[in-house]
Amino acid sequence: MSAQSQVLGVKKPARSWLRGLLLDWERTQLVITFTLMLLVAVIGLLFPSPYVLGILILATLYAYIGITWNIVAGFAGQLLIAHVIFLGIGAYTTIVLNDNFGISPWLGIPAAGLVAGLLGLLVAAVTLRYGLKADYFALFTIALLVSLRTLFLKWQFVGGALGLWLQLGNTGWGNMIFATKGPYLIIALALLAFGVIVQYRIYLSKMGKYLLAIREDEAAAAALGVNTSLYKTLAVVTGAAMAGIGGGFYVMYVAFVEPPQVFDLGFNVEIVMASPIIGGLGSLAGPILGAFVNKPLAELIRGMLAAQTSGTTLIIYGSFLVLSIMFMPRGLAGVVHSLYLRLARRWAGDGTGGS
Amino acid sequence: MALLTVEGITKRFGGLLAVHDLSLSVEPGQIVALIGPNGAGKTTAFNVISGFYKPDAGRIVFDGRDISGLRPDEICKLGLTRTFQVVRPFRGISVLDNVMVGAYARTGDGRAARATAQEALSFLGMLPMADHLASDLPIGGRKRLEITRALATGPRLLLLDETMAGLRPAETDEVIRMVRKISERGIGILLVEHVMRVVMSLAERVVVLHHGEKLAEGTPESIVQDPRVIEAYLGEAHVTG
Repeated sequence: MSAQSQVLGVKKPARSWLRGLLLDWERTQLVITFTLMLLVAVIGLLFPSPYVLGILILATLYAYIGITWNIVAGFAGQLLIAHVIFLGIGAYTTIVLNDNFGISPWLGIPAAGLVAGLLGLLVAAVTLRYGLKADYFALFTIALLVSLRTLFLKWQFVGGALGLWLQLGNTGWGNMIFATKGPYLIIALALLAFGVIVQYRIYLSKMGKYLLAIREDEAAAAALGVNTSLYKTLAVVTGAAMAGIGGGFYVMYVAFVEPPQVFDLGFNVEIVMASPIIGGLGSLAGPILGAFVNKPLAELIRGMLAAQTSGTTLIIYGSFLVLSIMFMPRGLAGVVHSLYLRLARRWAGDGTGGS
Repeated sequence: MALLTVEGITKRFGGLLAVHDLSLSVEPGQIVALIGPNGAGKTTAFNVISGFYKPDAGRIVFDGRDISGLRPDEICKLGLTRTFQVVRPFRGISVLDNVMVGAYARTGDGRAARATAQEALSFLGMLPMADHLASDLPIGGRKRLEITRALATGPRLLLLDETMAGLRPAETDEVIRMVRKISERGIGILLVEHVMRVVMSLAERVVVLHHGEKLAEGTPESIVQDPRVIEAYLGEAHVTG
């Protein structure tokens, strides 16, 4: 059998654990992911300035939010465009629980996941009930984003148009409020590790195979026993709940939330869609690879061009997104995968030659 | 008792009567062919039996259970699986993963699903292709993948929709062998087919559809001699090849 065969799926008995690890593309992506996370931690330790840490924290959060969208849009192929609504709902849940009820974010963030998950369930139920698919599903989620923005602007209990400031208690781990940025990076990396593992487990499980089948051909999946409604719902609820958790952390970090900030399509593109698209939608390492290019690049462009006519930054950033879609349709992960296939073929040829 | 009994199913699309009062049955291990000119309602009948359309009248009894109105995935789990006329491989994933999707119909365990998938692949001689992307397969391979994937769901009845269409003669022979092997396992097969050579060599019984209604039913030999069938279908088919 050719070396290619060992790359796409079937695991052959390996000579060494390292070979076993790296002759499997899924595990290789996991190695790439954790290497990048280690790199982020090291950069954070070497350059602990608030500016650098700020970029690292948001890049890590972007990677995590990218994963939550990757499960819905990348694996299951559902065009949940306005995914940021779940982040927004999560942010509001955590801050309202903290400010109005004095509930610790350690409970408020899981609660954010729960509330966002319920909103995800509602979105799935309504779209399935009325048979909204593909572009109609996408439009429905955008309409929902606009409605939520209006609702939250008028809703005084959650601050209305003024938004909500995080009521700062004592600093420390108990309140998840810190005077320096280091601890936020630690929490962000822990959150990303959670996202990476959940995504990996889903990908390798029955649910993962079913989601890919739904993405590729829904009718064929149904004919093979896939309850497509159930699994689409599972994907949306999982992605929504995880994004809600991310929103809870986001609001603890930025300490403020207002409707035009979170219920916004531009923000949605930046925090939800850009990383998986640049990195490779549907791949395991894509959201992480993309985020660690996306966020620093956006900062760099902003830093260089902030003095120019307003909007220049967005034009450059947007052009970069368009170019990356045109020239890397499978994203950075696709480029890495091609290199990997070439290397793996050579490596497998060395070790198992003659077998 | 028959494995599958279709009792007087009717399917209407607006004013068009696509299938009218169709009845047929399939026994375990039996191969039944459903033939008829283009537009006769064969694929519609398949869509009704496999749960993609709900019948407007009549019922479908599978293994003693009324399955009319159930969803396709529920019907698949009961042991009735279909393939599609235009093959629908999951293009972006490997052949093995394609077949594993089928195998997961019977288990939640990855290892068991992989074993079932590999068994189905090896049974139908597809193992060498297991690691290729489904989109890399030639058309013959895709048709065989479609059958392998359906077999991995552990069916007792397979509905094959024009599996041989567009295949070269050598490939057709290969698929004929596959179908016969599956049938020897005691799995009932209902197939829609245009290629008469396939119908004649595989089917024990033939049901002829014309304008949505059953025109004739019988052994392949009796069907080809039936004057009504010759007029409605075979004459045309013989002329066009």
